[in-house]
Amino acid sequence: MTDDKDVLRDVWFGRIPTCFTLYQDEITEREADPYYLLLPRISYLTLVTDKVKKHFQKVMRQEEVSEIWFEYEGTPLKWHYPIGLLFDLHASNTALPWSITVHFKNFPEKDLLHCHSKDVIEAHFMACIKEADALKHKSQVINEMQKKDHKQLWMGLQNDKFEQFWAINRKLMEYPPEDNGFRYIPFRIYQATTERPFIQKLFRPIASGGQLHTLGDLLKDVCPSAITPEDGEQKTQVMIHGIEPMLETPIQWLSEHMSYPDNFLHISIIPRPTD
Amino acid sequence: VSCSMAGEEVFFLEEKRFKQYCEDFVKHSQQIGDGWEWRTSKDLGDGYLSKTHFQVRNRHIPPDLKEKNNDNTEQMLFAHVEEPSDDSQAAGVCSTEEVVRYEYHVLYSSSYQVPVLYFRACFLDGRPLTLDEIWGSVHASYQARLQEGPWDTITQQEHPILGQPFFVLHPCRTNEFISAVLRGSQDHRRHTNYITLWLSTVGPVVGLNLPLSYAKLAPEQST
Repeated sequence: MTDDKDVLRDVWFGRIPTCFTLYQDEITEREADPYYLLLPRISYLTLVTDKVKKHFQKVMRQEEVSEIWFEYEGTPLKWHYPIGLLFDLHASNTALPWSITVHFKNFPEKDLLHCHSKDVIEAHFMACIKEADALKHKSQVINEMQKKDHKQLWMGLQNDKFEQFWAINRKLMEYPPEDNGFRYIPFRIYQATTERPFIQKLFRPIASGGQLHTLGDLLKDVCPSAITPEDGEQKTQVMIHGIEPMLETPIQWLSEHMSYPDNFLHISIIPRPTD
Repeated sequence: VSCSMAGEEVFFLEEKRFKQYCEDFVKHSQQIGDGWEWRTSKDLGDGYLSKTHFQVRNRHIPPDLKEKNNDNTEQMLFAHVEEPSDDSQAAGVCSTEEVVRYEYHVLYSSSYQVPVLYFRACFLDGRPLTLDEIWGSVHASYQARLQEGPWDTITQQEHPILGQPFFVLHPCRTNEFISAVLRGSQDHRRHTNYITLWLSTVGPVVGLNLPLSYAKLAPEQST
């Protein structure tokens, strides 16, 4: 019988085989080979692609190189979304490896945030963790931690150190014994078809009568179109970390075990493949 | 960065109250022609306050300009183009590159239960200002705070409704100063428009000022 802790490891060590190709209009001194990499689902593009950048810069002149950005089938990829979320949302039902195009010019100012250094990623990551704790614990747990604990969360992510990360993160997953869960669940629901980037609302994991709310309850409340079958057929998939959890799963359990390191449940609603 | 003061009462703003304060705020703005409007999102019915205006970036501010700003005696880094007499006092002729289009949005954060100020700025040719240029244009009195921890104050983030990059004034510390002001008097809590109070405090940091008449805005004045 799988222990719940195994789920934490499976989530942390999830990888997506990816092929990076240089955009054809980039000016190179010789042809650029594609670069293959296993991307961690729980990390961020600009945090794990230093080798990709170096590989392509080798065939380019210094003056042709500006801020790197990534695109999939014409869609600029938001580096501030976790990699696993980007894949589930845009490419989960396509053949592997995931084909990403690399750009060094014409940064899409209207679509992407800038990422000039690792500090920007750290600031973004910590801001998400703080917001998640504001929802779960009115910020009490994150504020009681020392700066070095905050740093350890970031270093754990940056260096892919599961134990180092969870030594601190486990505190963010606790709740008072008299409660049966967090105050509110940190979640975001994404659909590639909407202008709105995501749906985020206040949602309690425990009903007033004490019952545990489920994933289905959350969707019914916040995004009913995701689970209402049309013509008796379910046209969409509800995906977290590349899988479709049962709608009966308690949302409190999902929050504790299938959140990303930023402590948010990032949920994708995607079209169900018709085959 | 602490987001709440342990043991102190913090004043949280519910979303319904936020919408009501915004409605009253917009009504007053319409009365005085201040340019604020409420925009509702088509899908979920939430929304935000929005205002666009143009500012000229001057490196040198003529001394006369200090008296023009009736609610701020400190030296401003920006001159407002709406007042025609400013042009004649501005140093030399400003090229179009020096005119900046500012767009301000006030959204509600359900996570922190406070309003949040989003803004973006670009030159007339469409070139957006960089984060460095934004930091550099922050009001002189706030520069010291920014040097300490820029990442805690103004950062670039994705607009939660439009999905585009905006600059954001971090909402973390909002409750600290709002609570400090509102703790002053129980009466004030009923008679103050939270948006007016909050925006008149955070707005000037990023070049946004409220005419003094907003201070008269109280719940019972709206229908």
